[in-house]
Parts: sequence; C-alpha cells; structure tokens
Amino acid sequence: MYPATSDTRNQAAMNFTLAVYAAPHASQSAATALRFAQALLRQGHQLYRVFFYCDGVHNGSSLATPPQDETDLLPAWQSLQAEHGLDLVVCIAAAQRRGVLSEAEAKRLERPAANLAPGFELAGLGQLADAVAHSDRLVTFGS
Amino acid sequence: MGKRSLALCRQAPYGNALAREGLEAVLAASALEQAPDLLFSGDGVFQLLPGQEPDGIGQKNLQRNLQALPIFDIERAYVCEHSLSQRGLSLDDLATGGPALHPVSDIGKLISSYDTVLSF
Repeated sequence: MYPATSDTRNQAAMNFTLAVYAAPHASQSAATALRFAQALLRQGHQLYRVFFYCDGVHNGSSLATPPQDETDLLPAWQSLQAEHGLDLVVCIAAAQRRGVLSEAEAKRLERPAANLAPGFELAGLGQLADAVAHSDRLVTFGS
Repeated sequence: MGKRSLALCRQAPYGNALAREGLEAVLAASALEQAPDLLFSGDGVFQLLPGQEPDGIGQKNLQRNLQALPIFDIERAYVCEHSLSQRGLSLDDLATGGPALHPVSDIGKLISSYDTVLSF
C-alpha cells in the first residue's frame, strides 16, 4: 500500500467530477475511480459529482454479490457518499438499457424488481453537462 | 460560462456502446446550450464512413445522431489525419450528412486548447 498522504494542502483545492464508464469487477477502472475519489477528498479537494455512464451504471446496482474475499465497491461508495454528501448520479437512459432501476422506474416500466442502491440517484445526461460546466477537472475512468 | 469542451470520439460505431452513448451525451449537452466541439480519432473515424447498413446486425444507424448535430448548432467536427491514414482512409472517403469535417494534423495541440475533454 502507498503511505498515507492525508492533508497535503499545498496545492489550491479544486472541484472534481468523475465520469465512470466501467462496471465493477469487469476491469480495474471502477475500483480506480473509487480510490481516486477517496484520495482527492483526503487531500482536501471537492468532488462535485460522480456520473456513472455506460457500463458504469452497474456500480449502482444493489444486487451484485462478489465473493467474500474480493473487494465489494458498493459499500465503499455508499460510505464515502454518506461521509461527504456526495452526488452519485447514475444515467437514467444507460441504466434502463442495462437493468438498473429505482423503485419508481421499476413501477413505471412494469418490471418485477428495483435494484438501485441507496446513496445513488437516477438522473439525465444533463447532469454530466452541468458537472462539466461547474468543475475544474473532469476525470474519466474506463473509456 | 465561457468554458470550452471537446468530445473525443474514439470508438468504431457498432462494436462498443460508447460510440452511441458518447454521441447521446453530446446531443444532451448541446440541448442545454453547452455544445462541445467534436474530434474523431482512432477507430472513431469509422463513425464517419457513409453507407453504413447496421440493420444486418440489429443495430440502429449511428449516423442519424451525427445528422442531428447541426440542429444544435454543431456545424463542424475535427478529424485526426493520422488516424485516417493509418486506416487507409482519406477525407474524401467520409460523409456524415451532418457537420462539416475538418482535418487536424496535431490533435495534441487541439486537445490542449480546451478546458475540458469528454472522452468517449
């Protein structure tokens, strides 16, 4: 593991948005996005939004159950969200294609179950454009 | 606002959902009057080839999305010359029915002139 580098505030704090295109457990990218988020918050930067797009919407599924000896990204995202009040946005169009639905969407689309995890919300692509406009840096994972 | 953003389109049109979802993100941003400029590089240049018939593999034609771009005032798109020549293509082989295509020789210089890059 790397040594802890907490509170190295020698640089001006910046506002970040992360775009996550990768599903968890499919490539390293989703885990790297989480670690990047943890690192930038630890260093005193702001995280304006995490936007989950394409296969990245699977990060918001509450149904993934990796083996016990593998890292489960979902509770790590959720605890980071609770601690910092993060805006974890799952693209609604990409999520519908891939079967990540909130209770309201499952009901509206007449599907048998909902699986959007607590701490995440569904929203449109406008939230990505908004994040681009309001962030100092956009960092993309898994393209 | 004043921030300039660039959408980098690098995927062939039908092998990966990112090609379609990238253009959808571009259209959504454009509808909010935050239209990015577009740069097609790598296999993304294949999105610009005319005569695509994706019906045969059960896909929708991605060029419809390109053709919608001028509605949102995206009148031009950049194309990486190096990516074209690597693939045995020239600008004359391309047609989108959408934005006019401008060849770029130094895409690094182009990319560095933007505040934000949306990478697809």
